[in-house]
Parts: sequence; C-alpha cells; structure tokens
Amino acid sequence: MLEEIGFVDVKVGPPADTFGEASGEKKARLFEVYGYPFLARKPG
Amino acid sequence: MGAELPVDPAALREEVKSKYREVARNPHGAFHFHTGRRAARRLGYEPGMLDRMPDAAIESFAGVANPFSLRPLEAGEKVVDAGSGAGFDCFIAAQQVGASGTVVGVDMLAEMLQKARATARTMGLSNVEFREGILEEMPVGDGWADVVISNGVINLCVDKKQVFREIWRVLRPGGRLQFADIANGKPVPASAVANIDLWTA
Repeated sequence: MLEEIGFVDVKVGPPADTFGEASGEKKARLFEVYGYPFLARKPG
Repeated sequence: MGAELPVDPAALREEVKSKYREVARNPHGAFHFHTGRRAARRLGYEPGMLDRMPDAAIESFAGVANPFSLRPLEAGEKVVDAGSGAGFDCFIAAQQVGASGTVVGVDMLAEMLQKARATARTMGLSNVEFREGILEEMPVGDGWADVVISNGVINLCVDKKQVFREIWRVLRPGGRLQFADIANGKPVPASAVANIDLWTA
C-alpha cells in the first residue's frame, strides 16, 4: 500500500514480540501478530 | 462508509476512543497489550532514556514497536506524530530534534491530549505541541513535515489508504515516514474483520 501511494525506499525492521506475556498473547500467536518498524520516503 | 471498508469508520473511532480513554485514565489497568515502561522496554527503547522520562510521560504508552529503531531523527527536523496518545514518542522526538526542531502530536482523544500537554509543560518542552484531529484529516499544512512518525495507531484506522494519503500530503518532498505497527502472518477471517468489537480486543 505504501508503494501504491508513491512512497519509495520502503524498509521493514525485525519483529517485536509486542503481545508476549500480555493477556492478548494467545490471540496474537493464533494470527502470528507482531509489531514492526517501517521506514519509507516521499520522493523529492 | 466506502464500499470496500469492512466497518464504519466513525463507529470504529468511538470504539477506539473508549478503549484508549481508559489507557489515559487508568494506565495500570488490565489491557490485552502492555503499557508504560514495561512496554517500552520490551520494544527496545533505550533504557537510559526511559529512566529519564517522568512517569506521566510514559505510563500511558501503548506502542507496538520502536519507530526510531531504523533511523533516529535529526536536529532541526519538523515532526508529526500521527496518533500521539499521551505523548511518549513526541517527547523522545523532541529530544532528538532539539530546540531548533518542532514536534506536533495529533490525537483525537481529549483525555490523551490533556495528559500530553500537561506532561510537556512539566518537562519544560517548548518545541512540542499537541493538536486534536484524526489521522485521515490531520490539522497540519501541506508539505510541512520532514518526518511523520506513528506507533500502533494506523492499524486502528479502517481506511488505511486514506491515512497514508494524508501522511503523504503533510510530508515535504524527500520527507520520511517512520512508523511502527502490527502485522499478522496468518489471515484474519473476514467475519472477524467485520466485527468492530474485535478491532480493539
């Protein structure tokens, strides 16, 4: 979607276990949900 | 509501407000996600920086990853935090951009804005301000920002394409988007996506 809008140089960092040991962990594991850092640039 | 949107955006906003109003008022309550210093430590924020943050600046933090991990901000940059909550990432950004930079936090929840403004005053930060608004229509001028950051908020917006279009609008040419958010490795059933109660559960 980012590239569809026009962003370039899109990077995704390593996953963070956002929900580990939280009460939402079970549901997060079910759908393999993790947090990620993203970086993108608007051309100019 | 757009034909392709699975839930009504306004109804979802009310659901999100209800959940995060509680995070603002009762940050040590029971949530399905981590909050506060515990959350920030898990996500790899620099421990020394966390130790220097007053409790009010961090207790309502509910981010999902670290938007500064791939690249720090630079001195003098103008930054927008899309969905700034109680301001934790804005306060980090304010330190990174320094006195010559400016940070604008945008959030739709009055309780979070009130908390963020009070904490900024306590911390003596004059390069941070907080504005009421939604991510789909941010109160920021065209091309104003060098950088847009966000943490764990875009996933709570049903019209993500509009959010990214809006971020594009407020960024200057050559500007950066640095955000953290969740993504799922396995598909979520359409019935669950259409259930508004599950968006914040």
